[in-house]
Amino acid sequence: MVCTVDTIVVEGLVKVYCNRRVVDGVSFRVKSGEIFGLIGPNGAGKTTTLRMITTLVRPNEGRVIINGIDALAKPVEARKFLSYLPEEAEVYPRLTGYEHMLLHAKLKCPNNYREAVDYGVKLSGLRDRLHDRAGEYSKGMKRRLLIAIALMTKPQVAILDEPTSGLDVYASYSVRKVIREYSREAGAAVVISSHNMLEVEHLCDRVAFINNGRIIDLGAPGELMDKYSSANMEEAFIKAIEASTL
Amino acid sequence: MSDLSTLLWKELLDLSRDYKAILTTVLLPLILLPILGLVGIVLVSQQPATVALIDEDHCESTNSMLNITISSRRVAEILYEELSKKGFKVIESNDTSVVDDPLVDLVVIIPRGFATNATSLSSTASVLVIKRANVQASAMAEQAAREVISWLSYSLARVKIDALSKYAGVEASSEAILSPIVTQQEVVTIVGEKAGVEEELKGLLARFLVLALGIVVTPATSFIIDGIIGERERKTIEMLISLPIPLSKILYSKVLAATIVGIIATISDVVGFLTYIYLTLLVYGVQLMLFIDPLLLVIHAFTSFLTILTSVAMALPFITRTRGIRSASNIAGIVTIIATIIFFTGFIVDYYKLPMNVKTPLYLIPFTHSVLAIQLYVIGYRFESLLHTLILLALSAILLLISIRTLDSEKILVAPPS
Repeated sequence: MVCTVDTIVVEGLVKVYCNRRVVDGVSFRVKSGEIFGLIGPNGAGKTTTLRMITTLVRPNEGRVIINGIDALAKPVEARKFLSYLPEEAEVYPRLTGYEHMLLHAKLKCPNNYREAVDYGVKLSGLRDRLHDRAGEYSKGMKRRLLIAIALMTKPQVAILDEPTSGLDVYASYSVRKVIREYSREAGAAVVISSHNMLEVEHLCDRVAFINNGRIIDLGAPGELMDKYSSANMEEAFIKAIEASTL
Repeated sequence: MSDLSTLLWKELLDLSRDYKAILTTVLLPLILLPILGLVGIVLVSQQPATVALIDEDHCESTNSMLNITISSRRVAEILYEELSKKGFKVIESNDTSVVDDPLVDLVVIIPRGFATNATSLSSTASVLVIKRANVQASAMAEQAAREVISWLSYSLARVKIDALSKYAGVEASSEAILSPIVTQQEVVTIVGEKAGVEEELKGLLARFLVLALGIVVTPATSFIIDGIIGERERKTIEMLISLPIPLSKILYSKVLAATIVGIIATISDVVGFLTYIYLTLLVYGVQLMLFIDPLLLVIHAFTSFLTILTSVAMALPFITRTRGIRSASNIAGIVTIIATIIFFTGFIVDYYKLPMNVKTPLYLIPFTHSVLAIQLYVIGYRFESLLHTLILLALSAILLLISIRTLDSEKILVAPPS
């Protein structure tokens, strides 16, 4: 792992919806080349936190620094350094996979979009199906396309919400491999949220457990398993959640 | 390629492959309206009305002083011939029970004493016309029968006047006695220039173009709803708005695409409508193309563009604050209703003639300026027409700016609580 500077700085994020603090003082830092996992039950505030980091949702309190840029003050500038894959992201059914890549590449790096598309084609592994309409793809193919789109421009920050959601074992493995290799090669800071504890254990350098909008623990997977005297991350996660609700 | 053109490329590419939308927005009006006209013409020609003629008089009367003879039989024959020429099926009957026959649309009875009264100088002869209520064919036959009877009456009056003047030794013109006062009509424009029938046809065409503005609002607002709320529901918008481009560019691309859809729909509707009118007028031997003012069509196209922009701008801030497509469509429905009221009244009312206290509050509704831009151009007030077009342009721009400034990604992304 190559850890250099903090590419992502999240400090005291608070988001209130209908008088409910869905995110309540979340803080963490992610260095370049690091893969950071955000783990929590449904409704814990993971997606809202990721949306605040990507500047799509404005926090009530706190700040987000992306590659040294205040993301709240300069959201468009900050988004130049990041790519975001939402959990339930879908494709435009009437556009081909290739056209999806062209659209995102032209909007993100208009000067060298062809290079980005070529890399995306390689990452997606969709080969001759790339020129079919995306509406005809399987769920796994759609996810691979969207992950390729998120990473093809080689962003310094990748925010991936449930990146392997809906994928079979083989496809999940290949996606994890892509993320790991990408993070190392590009030196990118990657934040992922996941329900898959095996994925978290093997992919993430550090993990934050989040519940009721608060980070209840944070550390390397090995450290957390030791701390909660658990044989695996799943057990550590359950113990951490139970301890936080006592 | 700039961000906006890339986004517009995506919107139009997606739309161009939505065959159902193309069919309903473009092809249906283009095909349906002319077909509607043709079917209408064919069906009207296929519903010949049946007219029953009853001669109860069976009499011939002569007025020796006037030297005229009237036969009820001859009157019945004339009615028979003239109505048959106009395409009506005419049957002769001796029995008034035909009134009870639903297949008979009109009954014309020449009552007893008709010939005697018709030749008299002191009595009036009458023909009884029995029409069926709420039957279109009956109304058409009645109109035709009235025309024939009116012509007979006029001809008989002329003969009587000529005979009387000869009898009295007075030089008299039957025309002068029958119509001692006539109306002479001249048509001029609002600024007093002589105008012909083509000016009136242009005015009629303009009224229809005002009405057609109402058509552009629905596809445009539907497209913008689909572009924002539809994308939110289909989970495609989040990745798009996370790109490093201002949200306003994404929204402008959607507004532009909606405007293009609206304009294509307008062109399609107007071409379909003109084809319909052309076919209809062709039956009466009128060449519609002689009365089409290309500049009027240009003004209509530009006004349509601005009307769409205004509609979208009015609906946009509310649409993005709705939970789903259904509630967004309800909001868009309100804009459509306002537009329909203005454009329908613009079809029947000359907005520029309205008193200032009525017109002033209407000025606050942008659609009023759409109507005035077209109506004022047609009556020759080109500067005022241009002024209202500019007001519409300014209102569209202001509304659009306000709409887009009040939006942020969170409002688009997170549906409000129910």
